[in-house]
Amino acid sequence: MRRIFLFAAWIGIALAADPIVKHPRELHFPPSEFIAPKAADYRHKLSNGATAFLVEDHEFPLIDISIMIHTGGYLEPAGMTGLAQLTGSQMRAGGTKSKTPETFDEDAAFLAAQIGSSVSDVSGEASLNCLSKDIDAGLALFVDMLRNPGFDESRLKLAKSQMLQAIGRRNDSTTSIEGREFQRLIRGDKHFTTRPVTKASLEAFSRQDLIGFHDRYYYPANFVLAVSGDFDTKQMLAKLEKALAAWPNRDTAIPDPPRSEFTPKPGVYVVNKKDVNQGRVQMGHLGVALSNPDHLALSVMNGILGGDGFTSHIMERVRSEEGLAYTARSSFGAGTYYEGIFFAGFQSKNASVAQATAIVIEEIKRAQDTKPSVDELATAVNRVVESFPLRFSSAGRKANQFAYDYYTRLPEDYWEKYRQRLNAVTPEEVQRVARKYLHPDGLVILAVGDAEAMLRGNPDRPQYSIAKLAGDRGVVRIPLPDPLTMVYPVE
Amino acid sequence: MIFRTALLIFFLLPSLWAQHVPVQEVILDNGMKVLLVVRKGSPNVAAGWVAKVGSVNEHSGVTGISHLFEHMMFKGTQTIGTKDIEEDLKINLELDRLKAELRKEEQALAARLRQGEITDVKDPKVRSPRHQQLLAEFDKLNARQRDLLVKNEFDKIYTSAGASGMNAATSEDFTIYFVNMPANKLELWFWMESDRLSNPVFREFYTEREVVAEERRLRSDSTPTGRFLVQFDAMFWKSSPYGWPVVGWPSDLDAITRQDASEYFGKYYAPNNLTACLVGDFSPDQAIALARKYFGRLQRGASEPEPVRTVEEPQYGEQRMSGEADTNPEVRVRYHTVADGHKDEPAFLILQALLNGRTGRLYKSLILEQQVANSAFASHDGMKYEGYFQFMGVAKTGKTPEQVEQAFYKEIEKLKTEIVPDRELQKVKNEQTASNFRRLESGFSLMEQLLMYDAYRGWRTINTDPPLLQAVTAADIQRIAAKYFAPDNRNVLVLNRKPSASAGGAK
Repeated sequence: MRRIFLFAAWIGIALAADPIVKHPRELHFPPSEFIAPKAADYRHKLSNGATAFLVEDHEFPLIDISIMIHTGGYLEPAGMTGLAQLTGSQMRAGGTKSKTPETFDEDAAFLAAQIGSSVSDVSGEASLNCLSKDIDAGLALFVDMLRNPGFDESRLKLAKSQMLQAIGRRNDSTTSIEGREFQRLIRGDKHFTTRPVTKASLEAFSRQDLIGFHDRYYYPANFVLAVSGDFDTKQMLAKLEKALAAWPNRDTAIPDPPRSEFTPKPGVYVVNKKDVNQGRVQMGHLGVALSNPDHLALSVMNGILGGDGFTSHIMERVRSEEGLAYTARSSFGAGTYYEGIFFAGFQSKNASVAQATAIVIEEIKRAQDTKPSVDELATAVNRVVESFPLRFSSAGRKANQFAYDYYTRLPEDYWEKYRQRLNAVTPEEVQRVARKYLHPDGLVILAVGDAEAMLRGNPDRPQYSIAKLAGDRGVVRIPLPDPLTMVYPVE
Repeated sequence: MIFRTALLIFFLLPSLWAQHVPVQEVILDNGMKVLLVVRKGSPNVAAGWVAKVGSVNEHSGVTGISHLFEHMMFKGTQTIGTKDIEEDLKINLELDRLKAELRKEEQALAARLRQGEITDVKDPKVRSPRHQQLLAEFDKLNARQRDLLVKNEFDKIYTSAGASGMNAATSEDFTIYFVNMPANKLELWFWMESDRLSNPVFREFYTEREVVAEERRLRSDSTPTGRFLVQFDAMFWKSSPYGWPVVGWPSDLDAITRQDASEYFGKYYAPNNLTACLVGDFSPDQAIALARKYFGRLQRGASEPEPVRTVEEPQYGEQRMSGEADTNPEVRVRYHTVADGHKDEPAFLILQALLNGRTGRLYKSLILEQQVANSAFASHDGMKYEGYFQFMGVAKTGKTPEQVEQAFYKEIEKLKTEIVPDRELQKVKNEQTASNFRRLESGFSLMEQLLMYDAYRGWRTINTDPPLLQAVTAADIQRIAAKYFAPDNRNVLVLNRKPSASAGGAK
């Protein structure tokens, strides 16, 4: 049955009477006042040392708990790459001390509770999402997993065989080759971000090592909790206190992730992947750390250069004007613990890789040679300032943002001053940071695709070639390594 | 003036949400539908609209036009995107004329290719002098138009206003356009969207065709299995237009004209074929007034778009395809089933849930017990006119795709001969109950879902579908397994690893 509702309130009549303006710049909007919520208002210290951010929202009968754990792949003992990742996943897959994996999984599924656990390079994460009526049963399962993982032997064996099969696919797609090789060219091959999982590293650790890794890093004082949804804060705090009670802490000092001592070598690098009709290109160099006071000016600079999608120079030229790529962009990384990476990249048919690369380099140079127009700067700044409230638009987003900021030790007044600092950026400053932090002559340029076709270029655009871009340094070929041992053949 | 008050309760108790998403529907005089969902407290409004057209509505020669057209909707209008609209339109006409001339040259080359006189139509050496001259003229004119452009003005206006996540997506059955608006700038959305729906200009048309070709290379051609999956679809569908990819066949994409795009726009983008949706903190009265003011200027189409004529022919025997790719050995088994909304669809969706996940049948049987696969899952895809159910599995090292295939058949046999236990059925229904809430948490996702539901069977089915899932019985599961999972209705794709220097496995 179709029901139609027709409204004509006074406000509608008033609006309808005005003619439609010719251009949207003639529209006027009511002002919007948004004050960033303060993390401190939601922060609670549990008696056993865990920090929790609780944000209530009663719209749906759901509760979400996410925990960040101070750990990460960077803490793995030498030769055991993969241990951290498998500790994270097997906490969830391997049952608990009192429940077989089958029982644990069935219990969680019957409750319709989503429970997860993982460990990445620089943090551990665990999460629970369940109906608020089931919070006691859900929390009990969740904490049992966190505290008493069973690390079932046969599930570990299965996970290792899946991981071995997955690393066997390392050279299958240009996407994975590009990501891996670019990281190696920037960070070297000794850094934890580039230390590969191999057949040997998987064989080097056993269930006992997973138990040891879990034991070292999983304790309440090492947790930051983001809790959101349908609960009463006081009651939820009592539940969390009870659930994490009598869990002894450790007093090991956990170091921050280390920076890489490697110095990247500028040049043009090519990986040959026959049978693909499109090359992937990434070029860049080291960026800055988040502690660098220029990082906001750099983010504005990057927005204009290639970070802001269609309004940025790289997208405009490579995609809109020349039709050479579907995505073309840049990113100026400000790292949490050490320098991030500046990179620009795109994907283009093999023959036009050289042309698109040349255009991107031109744009990087242009960012140094000319300051942005007032209009361009306003677009880039407004994009961030005007969409700022979105960052805190739901209880879950708020809680997770607070927890992440706490985990990464972001200054307490960061968001409070954020928009004001962005609004203060001038065209001169954008050009200054472009000159200081972009190094068009020091780029590491990586192209992955059909090497011969990329080097041949486009006969209709003979002025562009990869060889020309490489200059005297020549094109360096990177061979594909054996995916299981990561040994690179010597050519 | 027609004046009526709604009797809808807007402040429903949270627990009622699962059964009922409170939507206010308005139908404008020109036939355009507007859906409003008020959610207090959000600083943003999720805004979008859907055109009830996709690749299923295309025909040979213009495959991929729905998606290419979606790209063109970002190129501006008579007002947005140019400094001189008259000159801009003049150049467009001239570019079209040159492109038509070029097309003749390309067709002549295609004819020579068919005769084996040349091997590559894109090789500059095979072009005639006239062909070369036309290309030069075209480039020159393109550059002249570029000087008149206000570059990416459409994006710029939205971006500087703090709108985020602006994008669009094309599927087999619908095309959707969406953006997150700051709540105080809702009128901008109405201005922009009604402007591009009333007077779009498809500038940079031929460059954008190249962009779409790159998108095809990115998403399909240059991925390890993309090309095989496209051809498996083409084999699976015999007569149905679902047989071609949404992005279209490359040769069509090279030939679609601006004129084709204009005709397509007239036919499918009339307001009577569109639904808009807003989810967020706004005044419904004001939104309705804005909808009337802005979308009200669109002209109703001369006729309603005709439903797709071509129906999939029945399949009389098993079809198999096999290939070698840069992938671990894997298999797909696919059966023709039913379209979205068919009375058997809820049973397929419950079956899919029974098979998937950590406690699902495929994981327990193929991965843990038989140890024949390292991953396996099943899915039902009910589209507007047809549907299919697919099993997919990756063989464990040392096992073959054919062994995985046989393991699927064993599970299918079990579904046909044994009744699903109560607790197992209840488990997936519990999950369904929770997901009825989870799917509504994000306002943006709710906006997209309402538009998609509306493109299929009307937005009200977002409220009426969940009880149908709860009503599925063990007998239903047994019945659909017996009815649809028959060998003659089967399609199998086996992929093995392509031997090469870069293949997996230690040397």
